[in-house]
Amino acid sequence: MTAIVEGNGLTKRFGTGDATVVAVDAVDVAIQESELVMIMGDSGCGKTTLISLLGCILTPDAGQIRIEGEAIDPAAQDMSVIRREKIGFVFQLFHLLPYLTALENVMIAMDLARTKTDAAENRAMELLTQVGLSERFHHRPAQLSGGEKQRVSFARALANRPKVIFADEPTANLDSRQSDNLMSLIQELRQEHQTTVAIVTHHEGLKKNADRIIQMKDGRIFGE
Amino acid sequence: MKTLFLKDMRYRQARVVLTALGITVLISLILLLGGIMNGMRIQARQYVESTGADLWISAEGSGGAFIGFSLVIEEYMAFLNAGQGLVPDSASPLVFAQARPNVRGKSTKAIVVGYKLGKLGGPKRAIEGRMFTPSNFEDYRPEDPVPYEVVVDEKMGLEIGEQITLGDEKVRVVGKTESLMFVLDTPLLFMDVRIAQKLLLGNTPHVNMMVAKVNENFPVPEVATQYDEFETIETRTLKQTVGNIIEYYVDEPMKAVQFLRVMLWLAAGILVGMITYVTMLEKTQEIGVLKAIGAANRYVMALLLKQVALMSAVGVILGLILSYIFATAAPIFVAIHFLESVIVVCISFVVCCGSGYLAARKVIAVDPMIAFRGEI
Ligand SMILES: Nc1ncnc2c1ncn2[C@@H]1O[C@H](COP(=O)(O)OP(=O)(O)O)[C@@H](O)[C@H]1O
Ligand SMILES: [Mg+2]
Repeated sequence: MTAIVEGNGLTKRFGTGDATVVAVDAVDVAIQESELVMIMGDSGCGKTTLISLLGCILTPDAGQIRIEGEAIDPAAQDMSVIRREKIGFVFQLFHLLPYLTALENVMIAMDLARTKTDAAENRAMELLTQVGLSERFHHRPAQLSGGEKQRVSFARALANRPKVIFADEPTANLDSRQSDNLMSLIQELRQEHQTTVAIVTHHEGLKKNADRIIQMKDGRIFGE
Repeated sequence: MKTLFLKDMRYRQARVVLTALGITVLISLILLLGGIMNGMRIQARQYVESTGADLWISAEGSGGAFIGFSLVIEEYMAFLNAGQGLVPDSASPLVFAQARPNVRGKSTKAIVVGYKLGKLGGPKRAIEGRMFTPSNFEDYRPEDPVPYEVVVDEKMGLEIGEQITLGDEKVRVVGKTESLMFVLDTPLLFMDVRIAQKLLLGNTPHVNMMVAKVNENFPVPEVATQYDEFETIETRTLKQTVGNIIEYYVDEPMKAVQFLRVMLWLAAGILVGMITYVTMLEKTQEIGVLKAIGAANRYVMALLLKQVALMSAVGVILGLILSYIFATAAPIFVAIHFLESVIVVCISFVVCCGSGYLAARKVIAVDPMIAFRGEI
């Protein structure tokens, strides 16, 4: 098995002086192709920080990230290429653009990757239909429920056929029926697209879906 | 999505409109204040320049015509009319005095200009009605029955035949002239120099100043210096006189306003810059999202600059239009200087875009995950 994303000695601190928090502390981690990893741990232990580092939306203070074996150098590289070509992110707070419709929120990701508008629109409609939002194409995020926004966010993450999808507490805003639906949706999408998935959660009930579980505590990984 | 920046702006309509309006108001304030000053400058010169006189002669120690108190005895007329370098017979007597005529029962500000009809110092013909009946200047005796008549500024809104009161005397409006307001919209009342003397100078054989034309073969400044050397009079060229009036009626009294103007420029610059700066910083979260899903910094920058440029352009142009509208509606004469408005517009636009750019650069430099928090 090859590692899609690999981090060595990853460290991230926030704040200065006495208020410094070491959110991620010299972590070594590898996420293998097509697996579904769950990262679990108490609130504040550094899960979001870790997947942000792995997902290349946060620059580590120390350590090395490799994507498909290639070392990433945030200072020298245009990270936007990696972000749009290799990685899909489902944020805990969805982070949809409020001024775009569900369809446009999915299309924008492909637009950034220079997909032609027609093709982008077709794929966005396909993906939204797949996540059960065929009736919501032209709704703005403000007109969608939490679960619906979550699913738009998923469709957006899938849009550019990324190598790996990171999802930060995707079930935190959903009731148990919705989160079961979401998990089966993820499994389905995984079957279909062979995408690697890393999910941050502290939802014990989701464990059964995981190929592997990474336990975190105080910025470190202490068990798998 | 080519229209992404427009979608964003349409979504935030109210905010965008308010921001643009903020810029608009500041721009119009600057332009109007400048326009008021400029209007005063125009009014300071328009009467003096309209007379066609080259030399302005006032009493020694007055500091020049229109400046200090000046009374000149009439005898100088003969001396000037025979003088070297002047157009023969061009010397003309002039009364120029602030007055408070009673117009339709209201005490009003005005300036009485008494001159000799057909000579320098006032209009040769009326645009409506007729000119006043001239007195026989040379053989004038106070008891002569010259009617009290005045030709008024067309903008005073007086009708021909109407009477106004000057001191104790009633003066009849017989004609109107093209508007030639003096500083701060002060209308001029043109009348015969003898009547002006009678009403305002206690009927003495003095005038406030004399004006004359220089023979075109002579250089005006040298002739002025030559006459200035006489002990009892001061002589200034038209250019000097205009300069004196502007200094004395506009620049000095308006020093505080000028200071305010500079402050307003500074304040407007800072405010306008802050408005766009803060507007950009507020987009931190969304910029984080765009970057997180793969937007290049260049793409985000272009997006932000398009927005800031559009907003600034609308604000600035609206400010320009509005200030011209306000200028015509203003209760006093406001003349916005075209060049100044172009400069103000350009500088404001640059300041807006510049501070927008600085904010955008700051926001873009942040990792998306940090930007999500919205606080940088
Ligand atoms: N942008 C940030 N600025 C300052 N502190 C942060 C930031 N992000 C996370 N932290 C801190 O880092 C620690 C780990 O946070 P996080 O990775 O969000 O934990 P988790 O996702 O496991 O709840 C926490 O103490 C949190 O307060
Ligand atoms: Mg978290």
